[in-house]
Amino acid sequence: MSRYLVACDAGGTMTDVIVVDEEGRSVIGKAPTSPQDESIGYMESFWEALEYMGISKDEGQNFGASVETAIYTGTSMLNTVINMNGYKTGILVTRGFEDIISQGRGSQTFIGAQWSEITHMQYRRHRTPLVPSQLARGVTERIDMFGTPVIPMYEDEVREGARSLIVDEKVEAIAIIFLQSFVNPAHENRAAEICLEVMAEVGQEVVLEVSNKVAPTTREISRANATVVQAYASDPARKQLYRIEEELAKTGYAHSLKTVLGYGGITNIRYPRLFEAAMSGPVGGLMGAKYLSSVIGEENIVCSDVGGTSFDAGTITAGVLPIDREPGFQDMYVNVPMLGITSIGAGTGTYIRVDPQTNRIKLGPDSAGGTPGPTFMEAGNTTPTINDVNLLLGILSETNYLGGKVKINKAVSEKLFKEKVADPLGLDIYEAAETCLELLNVMMREHLVNSLMVGHDLREYVLLGYGGGGPLHLLGYAGDFPWKAVCTVPHAGGFSAWGGACMDYSHRRHKSVGAVITPDLDEATKLQYLQPVTGAWNELEAELREELKVEGFDPDQISISRVVYMKYYGQLDDVEVDSPVASLDTAEDMNALVQTFEDLYAKMFTLAARPDVGAYHITEVCVIAKVATVKPKLREFELADKAPDKAAYKCSRPVYMRGAWQDADIWEMEKLVPGNEIDGLAVIEASNTTLLVPPEWHVRIDAHDIYWITRKDS
Amino acid sequence: MALSLREEIQANAEAFKKTGCLFGLETLTRKEADPGTYEAVWHILSNLCNAAWATGCKVSSSPIAAEGGDALWGLHTSTGEAICISRGISAHAGLLSDMIKNFIDMGYEENPGFKAGDIFENNDPHYGGIHSPDFDMCMPLFYDGKLIAWASCVSHVSDAGSVTPGSIGFLNPDCYSDGLPISMERVGEGNRFYPWYEMRIRSRTRTPDFVMGDARGRLAGCLTIRDRLEEVIEKYGLDFILEAGKEYVEDSRRYAVGRVKTQTVPGRIRKSQFKDLAMKGKRVLLSKQDIDCAFNLPMELTINADASVDLSLQGASGTVPFGENISPTALKSGLMMGYSHIVGFDMFNSGPIAAWNIEMPPGGSWANPFELNFEAASGVAWAPAVTWVSNLYEVFGRLFQMRGFVEEMAAGSGTIMTAEFSGINQTGMYLTGLTLEQASQGSPARGYSDGENSAWCIYTPEADFGNAEISELYYPILFLGRNVAPNSGGYGQFRGGLGHTAVWMVHNTPGLEYQCGDAGMRSKMVANHGMYGAYPVVPDRPAYGHKTNMKQLIEDQKPLIHGRGDPERPLIASLIDAEEVEDNAVAPFVTPEPLQNHDVIVHPIAGAQAMGDPLLRDSASVARDLNEGWTTDRVALDIHGVVASKPNGAFVVDEDATAAKRSAIREERKQRAIPFQQWWSEERKRVEAQENMDPAIVTMWATGMELSPKYAEELRAFWALPEDFTFSN
Repeated sequence: MSRYLVACDAGGTMTDVIVVDEEGRSVIGKAPTSPQDESIGYMESFWEALEYMGISKDEGQNFGASVETAIYTGTSMLNTVINMNGYKTGILVTRGFEDIISQGRGSQTFIGAQWSEITHMQYRRHRTPLVPSQLARGVTERIDMFGTPVIPMYEDEVREGARSLIVDEKVEAIAIIFLQSFVNPAHENRAAEICLEVMAEVGQEVVLEVSNKVAPTTREISRANATVVQAYASDPARKQLYRIEEELAKTGYAHSLKTVLGYGGITNIRYPRLFEAAMSGPVGGLMGAKYLSSVIGEENIVCSDVGGTSFDAGTITAGVLPIDREPGFQDMYVNVPMLGITSIGAGTGTYIRVDPQTNRIKLGPDSAGGTPGPTFMEAGNTTPTINDVNLLLGILSETNYLGGKVKINKAVSEKLFKEKVADPLGLDIYEAAETCLELLNVMMREHLVNSLMVGHDLREYVLLGYGGGGPLHLLGYAGDFPWKAVCTVPHAGGFSAWGGACMDYSHRRHKSVGAVITPDLDEATKLQYLQPVTGAWNELEAELREELKVEGFDPDQISISRVVYMKYYGQLDDVEVDSPVASLDTAEDMNALVQTFEDLYAKMFTLAARPDVGAYHITEVCVIAKVATVKPKLREFELADKAPDKAAYKCSRPVYMRGAWQDADIWEMEKLVPGNEIDGLAVIEASNTTLLVPPEWHVRIDAHDIYWITRKDS
Repeated sequence: MALSLREEIQANAEAFKKTGCLFGLETLTRKEADPGTYEAVWHILSNLCNAAWATGCKVSSSPIAAEGGDALWGLHTSTGEAICISRGISAHAGLLSDMIKNFIDMGYEENPGFKAGDIFENNDPHYGGIHSPDFDMCMPLFYDGKLIAWASCVSHVSDAGSVTPGSIGFLNPDCYSDGLPISMERVGEGNRFYPWYEMRIRSRTRTPDFVMGDARGRLAGCLTIRDRLEEVIEKYGLDFILEAGKEYVEDSRRYAVGRVKTQTVPGRIRKSQFKDLAMKGKRVLLSKQDIDCAFNLPMELTINADASVDLSLQGASGTVPFGENISPTALKSGLMMGYSHIVGFDMFNSGPIAAWNIEMPPGGSWANPFELNFEAASGVAWAPAVTWVSNLYEVFGRLFQMRGFVEEMAAGSGTIMTAEFSGINQTGMYLTGLTLEQASQGSPARGYSDGENSAWCIYTPEADFGNAEISELYYPILFLGRNVAPNSGGYGQFRGGLGHTAVWMVHNTPGLEYQCGDAGMRSKMVANHGMYGAYPVVPDRPAYGHKTNMKQLIEDQKPLIHGRGDPERPLIASLIDAEEVEDNAVAPFVTPEPLQNHDVIVHPIAGAQAMGDPLLRDSASVARDLNEGWTTDRVALDIHGVVASKPNGAFVVDEDATAAKRSAIREERKQRAIPFQQWWSEERKRVEAQENMDPAIVTMWATGMELSPKYAEELRAFWALPEDFTFSN
């Protein structure tokens, strides 16, 4: 019997489930995300995927028995925070910082906002705090930046505070956050012991989270947020995941459900620091791209994901996916390692409006998403969206939206777009539609080229597009920039879910350190200054090995990477360096690490001058523990003829482009095979995506079924 | 023959005068013909400036630019109008534009000439700068040998080389003490600074590595603009960029006019506000500074029937022997930034300033000093001027209210009291610089809700105080508190957003200077009064203890100090003993001698102004503030008339008792009230007799009236004073 891997990507709009067999063949199902009970969307999408395998729901009732691994990537933690239905949580915090959560910081009021919104004072809003100040108890204590206790912890205040929170306030969870605890955790750990004593005394157990365990890294506000999210949302979110696991079990699935961590790795849903999975949504795509890059031998890739609501982008440079160690999450900064992804509000559902006062076109940043969707779905939205434009221009088929499952009314799009966009602009309806499309492409292009890629040379990067709308807009935002190559994949709509299946079982721990070595120091002093790095590595590795042991893994299954975050002294941004040595005990060890850093820096910042100071600063260390998993194979096919099978050709359809209607060849993606080549102007349709190939582009499908798109004149 | 840039500026001015449209652009041809490309290029140009900001801040690596983002980059037309700006400190958009115009106007085109790779700078207020720590830079950009645009930048350096360390030179007695001047200079060629530029910074500033880092950051950002602009020109064509560039400026002017037309009403509206600077008896530099000062900041806004706007700043009082004098160029630029806070332009550039006719403060006033007092210092020129920005919030708030745009209303902003440290830090390094505390105040109350706590800053929309653990890396301090400061916002139906209180214990230093600085604080006067019956914010009141018993308290595990407490009942003196304790110090000041380990500073940051009568405040909101510790039972009862008790750990409102209490307060108000005519008569007598008037107030009125005869005439008319009446000490 075949064994299968099932992975899911629950986005804000749609939940995709991919089912992959041992040969790497895959099918993808799609269903609307169901935040109230995510198992509904998961299972609907699962059944649809099976349909593509020719298995009806009735026939598939025991399919789970042949599933080796089931993975969830998505929004359960996010929904707990959005809906404010987590545990009643109190904090024990350094006295004088009781308002740390409710006060937050100014920059949290404009995370992800556009400049016009940032400047406009009236838009300022703090989020509703997960912990109001009345559930905060201060503890007199202070440790300085060197880890020296300056004010001892007043233990009676801890005892009193814990008792008050548990008995009087009846909290369900307590988070402990003291300043500089990542340097010296003694006060926090002692406070945790006292909390346990109080719990025993009063006979009540509550969830207890300590910041130096959750996120032992600097910046107390972000560390506090991370600790509170972990205390507040982990267990409630886990209940959603148990629901999915239950539903899968009904189909015979015999294992535990896995989930995806924000830094790219999978773990059991019983993993203690589940907050690290809070931002796993866009991770699948990047990890899929990383896996893809290893197969195709490209170590520099720009990953671009066009969804219904947002355009997410990240880079792989020299094979390294950068980690954002303080990302924004629900109007909070959190010390949670997450793959470096930047987003703008631009997707296929982005609203198109014309400002009545200035007569200027405004795209988004909000969107209709999957619900209510574009106007042509007649589901309640009357504001034109990008997909309305794609339909009007003939790029999207009237009969193939979401594989033909959704009935659409083009006349509605025409009427509303004319009335609300084209007429105010004084343009012909199609001219206006193309204008809006090009503007969206410019926004995406700018996001990639002038934000994400600052300091990098585009000529060294392959641009990969995925997401349901990725292939639709890929060549629009690729523009005429000198990318090394442009490509997409046939299952672009489910690529993030597929990427979820490409990850290793992995845990990761970070810890801030401050090690500076300067050229004027002698070798012995340099090594002495680097000792905290080795110490932190050892400490973190021991913790990770213990965690994985508890999860049932043998020590010899575990591979360890030791990482430092390093920069030239005085620089702002550090670089993640996979250390070539396991400790820094000798001059050779030190030199090897420095050399690796310098080589990587030179690869990553080809356009920047390298500082010539000889002083290095290690800001943070990290240990990654991995257990390899079986991944879907990227199959290699024999190449067929360049000319596609006639059955793949659907028809010719007029597409409006560059001010004129032009006949485009319409192809069925599922019937194209490796080796085929297609010239633009063409539209290649699949059930979950559409690839638009403008006239000057040419598509070649390689042996791995990857679509490489090049300019005809290149 | 092609016009010189100076001739182009003149031609533009004439075209504007003739058509009412900038550059004479009665039709926005590019926009109308190709709205998509017009929008796309705008997006690209804005992004290009933001790329400069990102690059420049990274290269700077100074705490202020890198951590605080206190910098700005811009792209300008060939004649200097700002087309678009980056994120950052938008107050400088107009200033950078005027600097470029000034270079052109002063004949630099002929001598020394403009060529590719030239770097020009100015930080001298005499020539349009704001204050010496703000280094303004511009570079001419060429295409096919023709000057087609300018890139610009400003960044705030940590030390300007002025007489006192740091960048908030409120104590500077004259311009000679303002620090290192760059007076309209070419400071580099061929994209490199001259060697002497760096030498001068090395010998004349206290933190030259940071100051030079900022210079390189400015340059890197400008070069980013240059390179990216060339790519845009290659793609869209030079003609499009040149023409659309001007249209963006005119379009923004039209937007500003449109907002006035659709959201305000015609008429005249005035707002008076005052600021003080109490220095008598404090540590000063020259004996002439042993005085208190007061500033008059009147504003009169007239909206004409055609939606044109006249703004008069006449009546401003005379210069002061401190660093609080500002050049009109900087003032104008700051006012436009304030307008962007109220309106939220997404196309913010030189356009909006052209939509207003501004009658500048009179020559010789603190806000236009150099005509009569060339020696005036401008070490912290923003300090009084931000109050005018706050006036603007309130004036427009009223106008919006008249048209029903309640959601756009904002009461006045908070005040700005800075904390600046200098000394040897815990790593043995000399450091001077601003903390980021003041960059995150309460936001003004809105027409329908409270302001936000610690979420706004009048001088930068990127309001943020960062993390305490990061501040502790730089400065030899240990945070003992950083909570919301209770009662720090104005009281009203909708209260002002609250500020916070930083409490520091000096730690790990041989000595630390603490400068409680003036960047817009109040010494004794209250700031503006809030709107529609609200109560004002209390004045800024820091506290400190020198040579304290903190070490003993810590050893004995006794209670320490973590906040200011109720503003009317500061805690410090009740909690710690010290040889010198200031529990309610009148800001600004520099501590008489360097602070030492275990000394304590309590540095409160202001909340903002409120909206509406506090008796109308929803009692549940008062209870919430009580439960969060953001107000006190004294204020709940006496100011809001809310009777609340705490039976089971949380405050509960007694609604009947509250209604009765509020009724009683209203009755007390009635008893206290007198008819306006009676008040006016009594007050008039006091005015005429200058009864109990502080010399600072007399000087303020006397100089303001002398410098602005029309304002004096109106003032005399209001009080029915004799035609020859003047104030005199």
